[in-house]
Amino acid sequence: MKVRNGLKNIAILFLGFCCLSLSKPVNKTVRDFSLQNVDGKIVSTKDYKDAKGFVVVFTCIHCPFAKLYHERLNQINAKYSKLHIPLLLINSSDTIMFANESLPNMAKVAKEKKYSFSYLFDPSQSVAKDFKAEKTPHAFVIWKEDNQWTVKYNGAIDDNGAHPELVKTNYVTNAIDELLAGKSVSVAEGFSIGCAIHYRK
Amino acid sequence: MTQTTPKSIYRLIAVLSFIISVNFSFGQAFNSLWIPDTLSGTTFNLNLIDTFKQLRTGNQTVTAGVNSDFWGPTLFFNKGDTVHMNVHNYLNDSTTLHWHGMHLPAVMDGGPHQVIPPGTIWQPYWKVTNNASTYWYHPHLHTMTQEQMTKGLGGFIIVRDPQEAALAIPRKYGVDDIPLMLTSRRYDGGNAMTYINCSYGDYMLTNGTPNSQVTLPKQMVRLRILNAEMERAYNLGFSDGRTFYVIGNDGGLLNAPVAETRVILAVGERIEILVDLSSNTIGDTLNLNAYNGGFGLGFPGGEPNTSGEFGSLLNNKTFRLLHINVGAATANAITTMPSTLANNTYWTANDATVNKSVTVTGGQPGQPNNPFGLDNTHFDFNVINKTVNLNDIEKWTITNSNVFGHTFHIHDVEFKLVSRSTGSVGAYESGWKDVLYLPIGSSATFVAKFDDYSDSVHPFMYHCHFGPHEDGGMMGQFVVRGSNTVSGINAQPNISTDFNLYPNPAHNKLFIQLPETNAGVYYLRMSDVAGRTVYMLPQPQLESGIDISMLPSGIYFVAVTDSKFNTITKRFIKD
Ligand SMILES: [Cu+2]
Repeated sequence: MKVRNGLKNIAILFLGFCCLSLSKPVNKTVRDFSLQNVDGKIVSTKDYKDAKGFVVVFTCIHCPFAKLYHERLNQINAKYSKLHIPLLLINSSDTIMFANESLPNMAKVAKEKKYSFSYLFDPSQSVAKDFKAEKTPHAFVIWKEDNQWTVKYNGAIDDNGAHPELVKTNYVTNAIDELLAGKSVSVAEGFSIGCAIHYRK
Repeated sequence: MTQTTPKSIYRLIAVLSFIISVNFSFGQAFNSLWIPDTLSGTTFNLNLIDTFKQLRTGNQTVTAGVNSDFWGPTLFFNKGDTVHMNVHNYLNDSTTLHWHGMHLPAVMDGGPHQVIPPGTIWQPYWKVTNNASTYWYHPHLHTMTQEQMTKGLGGFIIVRDPQEAALAIPRKYGVDDIPLMLTSRRYDGGNAMTYINCSYGDYMLTNGTPNSQVTLPKQMVRLRILNAEMERAYNLGFSDGRTFYVIGNDGGLLNAPVAETRVILAVGERIEILVDLSSNTIGDTLNLNAYNGGFGLGFPGGEPNTSGEFGSLLNNKTFRLLHINVGAATANAITTMPSTLANNTYWTANDATVNKSVTVTGGQPGQPNNPFGLDNTHFDFNVINKTVNLNDIEKWTITNSNVFGHTFHIHDVEFKLVSRSTGSVGAYESGWKDVLYLPIGSSATFVAKFDDYSDSVHPFMYHCHFGPHEDGGMMGQFVVRGSNTVSGINAQPNISTDFNLYPNPAHNKLFIQLPETNAGVYYLRMSDVAGRTVYMLPQPQLESGIDISMLPSGIYFVAVTDSKFNTITKRFIKD
């Protein structure tokens, strides 16, 4: 009965991967983190002494919806890093499940798409778990309050993936603009769509 | 206003024209029915992909497809050919691909046991012995079937055979012979498809097209209709009440056309109908509708609610499935109906030597942890629920004295419905079938012969074809037991022993040499050094080697299982 058990084990292994989903709402606060960048250096949130907040976006190489946002990520970082809200892009894919989700392949994308921000590798998935990231792309706006990082927005970057010219609501930049103006965020969650992040058990 | 440059005008025009096209596409106007591309021959390359599609105004909908952005190509098989499938899973998830209605070895069947991990190539093959008819393929990953089918994975299979080819009936695919995949979807506020706590869609997606229309020629037209819903049944009919003719069921042509004005098509069932447009005038319009209003308790889609898990905007009413415009006739148009179609010899209840019964259980309201089941149990990968002896003719009675209607689908065979507790079997469902509609408070009995393929280990499934029900465990499995552990295509004597791999290192092709020339391999699985499966080869034909040219260089493992189910693993280097 070896085959049967083999097939069964494979089935259970991958069913385990596929079905885990994390419950909302997201954490109110998230921890500082340090991850390896595509240039090989370690990047930590603690390195950014002046940061008021961060735009943290979880992504992956293979998801077609994540691929639509390269240019918009550069635009967000160009505008807001100057205002001390840098963008950090994180790949938390299950690297056992997806062979192509590797640091060298991430570096290729970063070069090809001329990323102006750090693209960080989270192979242990610990940062994604702390954020409870569910999808790629999945954006978070975190803000420094009482020396802690509070999640102020989580969800989609905006409301039109394939047609940036038809975007009606820029969830992420609206949230930052409101925070910079000292207001509370009016839309704290936007529909997050794309590919599921699978958490290794 | 600042001066507008030509470039920005073009951009503005582009944006405006897109907005206009969006309004046209998703408002009241119709969209042209998508006709799936075709693949034919004996080797079929099917790439399962995640993608997205503009189905509504606003954001795109995340979808999945087979070589496509929703659904997949129609595969044309010739009866008697051996077909080889290269199924490459590029999805973000594991999946399986089941060849619904095909008679083939269990290990090729694509049921819940043949899990294809992301990045893996699965290569089943089999000899097509099914009659000419309309079959389909779809994912069958236990607990994930509804999600993956909702995203759009699936496709038609059309089998041709000489008997059908000799008939004067419409056969021009996409012209007078139209595949119609009926399904509907619900969307959340971000235009994502809903598949959790959702039995029904709110908007039709006939062949993946919202508000679909098609121009059909002024002649006899053949519609191959598949119910690819999650739960809803369709009470099919035309808006002018015209008579149409049922010519085929799931597994082949009926002996003679059956005139109807309404036919219920439940989930998983296919029906082929002829509709005569030859006395229409060019420019006439009519609709293919679902007359789903006024059914009693238990009709799937008859619930009165318009929202919630069991509600829908399409429930308990008449709604349009396809808008039809009558166009010019084609050359050599078919305008008459053959009086006979086939000469099937069906099994009768008296032919059966073994009786089996299956009873619908569970699912009582107010018991959230008691989903629908069969025979007071739920699907368990490790439990074989029934055993059939190879070549036996069996009679199965399925009883539903439960709280809702269901469908019952069995893998491996086409069966003949021989009786229903509600009265006689309808003429429209009198042919070979693999799915039956099981109304509330009724039982149905079918007879089937389980021939050609035995496998004492690898099971076939029987289950309700409602996505939420099969995912909830309303499914059982059976093995077909023969004198050998495995029989059928490429069946080999049982020889459990060592094997050689060469060359090693290998670059383009890897050869497997078995110590005895007649030794058989039941399963070959190749994986990389991290344990990722790269190839799944059921009963592989190894004479010409395994093509490894596209693998990245590195260390790989080949696990060979023989027909006594002993597994030996060897290592090789791809350079
Ligand atoms: Cu059911």
